[in-house]
Amino acid sequence: MSASDSPLLPSFARPPSRVAIRRAASYEADLSALLFETLREFDLPVRGKGVLLKPNFVEADPLGVINTHPAVVGAARESFLRLGAQSVVVGEGPGHERDTEAIVEAIRLRDYLGPLRGAFVDLNVDDVHRVRLRTRASKLKELYLPETVLRADFVVSMPKLKTHHWAGVTLSLKNMFGIVPGNCYGWPKNALHWAGITRAVLDINGTVHPDFAIVDGIVGMEGNGPIQGVPKLCGLMVVGDDPVAVDATCARIMDLVPERVDYLAHAACLLGHLKEEKIHQLGESIASVRTPFEVLDSFRSLKGTRNGGGNGLRAGHMPR
Amino acid sequence: MPDGYQVADASVESPRRVSFLEEFCLPFLADAQSPDGGWGYHPGSRSSVESTCWALLALASVSKSSELAELAGRGGDWLRQAQLPDGSWPAQVGGGEGCWATALACLALHAQGKAAQGVVKGLVWLCDARSGEGGLWWRLRYRFSGGSTVVRQNHSLRGWGWTPGTNSWVEPTSYSLILLRNIPEDSYPPRAAQRRRLGEEMLYDRMCPGGGWNSGNPLVYGVAGEPRVGPTVWALLALQDYCDRPQNRRSLEWLESVYKDIRGPASLALAHTCLETYGRPTPALEPALQSLYLTNQFFHHVPVVAWAAVALSPRRDWLRWTSGRIT
Repeated sequence: MSASDSPLLPSFARPPSRVAIRRAASYEADLSALLFETLREFDLPVRGKGVLLKPNFVEADPLGVINTHPAVVGAARESFLRLGAQSVVVGEGPGHERDTEAIVEAIRLRDYLGPLRGAFVDLNVDDVHRVRLRTRASKLKELYLPETVLRADFVVSMPKLKTHHWAGVTLSLKNMFGIVPGNCYGWPKNALHWAGITRAVLDINGTVHPDFAIVDGIVGMEGNGPIQGVPKLCGLMVVGDDPVAVDATCARIMDLVPERVDYLAHAACLLGHLKEEKIHQLGESIASVRTPFEVLDSFRSLKGTRNGGGNGLRAGHMPR
Repeated sequence: MPDGYQVADASVESPRRVSFLEEFCLPFLADAQSPDGGWGYHPGSRSSVESTCWALLALASVSKSSELAELAGRGGDWLRQAQLPDGSWPAQVGGGEGCWATALACLALHAQGKAAQGVVKGLVWLCDARSGEGGLWWRLRYRFSGGSTVVRQNHSLRGWGWTPGTNSWVEPTSYSLILLRNIPEDSYPPRAAQRRRLGEEMLYDRMCPGGGWNSGNPLVYGVAGEPRVGPTVWALLALQDYCDRPQNRRSLEWLESVYKDIRGPASLALAHTCLETYGRPTPALEPALQSLYLTNQFFHHVPVVAWAAVALSPRRDWLRWTSGRIT
């Protein structure tokens, strides 16, 4: 259970994090080459290890804007295998749709991974173990977690760059909600909402801390995300060895202030770096790729100062 | 794999329909049964209450043969010993807290015609189980917000949640209502009739504006939620006593409109079961299931195979039988 073995360190005791921003114009680009070269820069300890890729698959989506694009997932799998990983499994437990096979077929995951047996695991129906949480942000104390997650040597969170109507943004930390099994908590995993989204995000990531994050920001979603927002073309992938730093960087790219995103502000205590000076930036600069995202009225306070405090939107005015 | 299972009343079934059931679904379920008598989500995985319930309900839909009766008997024994002292069933054996699986366990045991006492205890637990949103605070908040909360729904209508103390959702509410449809009303424990009525009203309240259901949020921030196949099927099956209502008709029409585009075997089997239960014409199921099986082997998912078996089975008394309409 390597993810859980990683120490939870206060910010001052952590080495600087590394985050790379790469341009990728479309999903037809050579994402495998781009990701492989980027991952090589990080010198990741994956040789001979079992890697779990955790994308964000929510539901069938004809516009290709809700889910982590399978081209990114396929490129990541290929890259980790080229880096010497013994196995690379894609695992996801969608929060609303029980028919996971319908989702992965609708998004054509097979086209990018080949046969799914052995390559994909539905975390909602995996064998589970009851795990004592390493943090006490919520009252949950313990959670059932899937064996596939607990067995993985190296966990990679692979979210989509999206706004979220309850949490402000959904990135690599919030994406980890998907490891919590539906066969214990249902569809949706409402017990986590009752525990408080912020607190549950912290406890899940404190217990299964992702070793790496790869954000699909080629096409993101703004407004009433994570399902009913509108597509936002950004042409980016953001990757890094600290999910908090990756999420903070993504928020800055979206022209949102990460310190004002509740769970990110709290995550900076033990889970990673939020401050720019603690993040070693590779590739493009944030300023050169900044793409302001619209947010709902209720999250107007997250907006940065560059556009005068923002332009909150009412969801009803934003048809997909 | 074992073979040669005899499906009940096979003579009235077309050979096409029987073959996938006999040649794949039933042998798969037989092979997937754990040595302890239960079923896990996959062959070889630990027995779980939900998987065992679906397997038993599938067997109850087809079984008259002695081989299947033996499998079902062992499964029923496993299920009975998994019941908690308070009458509920946990999602995972060893879990100390009952959950939505209680409705399925009662339904599976009731369909077997066994463990009447256990079923009654489970039913009492379900009728006492409180979802999180029906309390005074929630109702006051809803009343004083003028119904303008971000999620537009009537919080005074309680159904059932997935786990205790959380919100009511469409699927667990539907499971409990299907169970209550199977229990004669004169055997209802206190509050059962009231809970059934509230649950039915809750389902109608949570219907998506254009028909159909998602997990339970028809409107968020004023934007209509998209219906999904699974919740729509379970809600329609729970509400089949009201088949003439416009809401049912609209939801059936939605289900029919998406049927041909369904890509998952779980959704396909469930949709077929629902449409057939409502007497709606449906395309042949078996070729579509066979084709989907070749794609991913159903991910070797026991509940999916069980749903396929139910969809292909000649008898589904547990879905059709009704104790009578609540008025």
